[in-house]
Amino acid sequence: MRVTVGNRSYEGRAIDLTGSDVPAAAVVRAIGDGDVPIDMDVNVDVDCPEPGTVHEHVGHVPPATFDRRAALVAAARALGHESPSRPALDEARSKLADLSPPPVDVAAARRRVAETGETEERLQERVAELRGRLQARRKTGADTTAVEAQLDEAVSRLSAAETERIAAEQALERAEAAARGARDRREHRLELEDRVANLEREVRADLVSTVWERFRTALRAVPGTATAGETPGTYDGDEETAALAVARIAPLDAPVVVDGLDRIAGAEEVASTLRAPIIYIG
Amino acid sequence: MLLVVTYSRDARTTLRNVRRTHDATVVRELGRAALFEETELGAFLALRLREKHGDDVQIERTRPLNEFAAVPESIREAAAAYEDRETPSTPYAKFAAGTDYPDPGEMADRDL
Repeated sequence: MRVTVGNRSYEGRAIDLTGSDVPAAAVVRAIGDGDVPIDMDVNVDVDCPEPGTVHEHVGHVPPATFDRRAALVAAARALGHESPSRPALDEARSKLADLSPPPVDVAAARRRVAETGETEERLQERVAELRGRLQARRKTGADTTAVEAQLDEAVSRLSAAETERIAAEQALERAEAAARGARDRREHRLELEDRVANLEREVRADLVSTVWERFRTALRAVPGTATAGETPGTYDGDEETAALAVARIAPLDAPVVVDGLDRIAGAEEVASTLRAPIIYIG
Repeated sequence: MLLVVTYSRDARTTLRNVRRTHDATVVRELGRAALFEETELGAFLALRLREKHGDDVQIERTRPLNEFAAVPESIREAAAAYEDRETPSTPYAKFAAGTDYPDPGEMADRDL
């Protein structure tokens, strides 16, 4: 690996940048996609192999955030392990991806039923009111021609509204029946989603188990006080120690940036402890 | 009551959160479904779920079944008699055959 800071070059498996004033974040970026943001105002270039997925977890120690489980899963994969549940997971995922449930489009039909129902009700009231008025006029012997005409019109509108409401209700029934089929598909998708989630858990647990003993042994080799129980997942200690142990067990081609970790004495020492190329920043 | 059924993991999670914050309105939780109180708040919570998760939320309006008002006596009697049968392994169709008890196919075709 070769690191260039400004016009100085460093070469080797353990490079010490103490005193060069390069921020660790800039070095991490230079290892990753190689683009150091201009606002960092440093000229740093790292010529090294492409970082793998374990690097996302232990590429920078101490890590800003550390998901121990995910880091162990990445380490297990980097070591060539895979869970026996993996094919089932892939299959469930691809089935899920192929499943696009049709929409459940019932809202428009519901709205139409509500609206036609309201119209019908309003017209029923109007007819009743006109009938009352007509009766009252007949009693007093007043002229009924105008009211009769109004009533005739209201009755015919009511009959049309009733027809419309019945049609709307039938349309809603059909839409509900179609929705049932769409919901069956959605239910099936939910089952698949649950299956994928369960298999993902299984795969992670398997992978953590495969490297757990190595991880426990590594914890004793790296600086820091942490203990892990025999049962995979039982860990008592800080994130830095766990990150160092994961870095030790994983095959790392790209360098780990170690920055401001008091318990580490120097680049050479940490390179041999982690069995990885190191860029050490004081 | 309002029956709210969810059809995705996200919708199910939101439903559980609603239950946690509104346990007075969420009368009962049944896995990925729940019964909400039939109040404006119940409707609001149900509609909010549907706004968020669209077709992955189904809302139905339910009411208790009054079997004495809605179910013919013959059906009620058949249910009681079948539960009281002597041989527990007898399926209903066989139990009803040759008796006055209603045939399952006929019952399936008749709406309440």
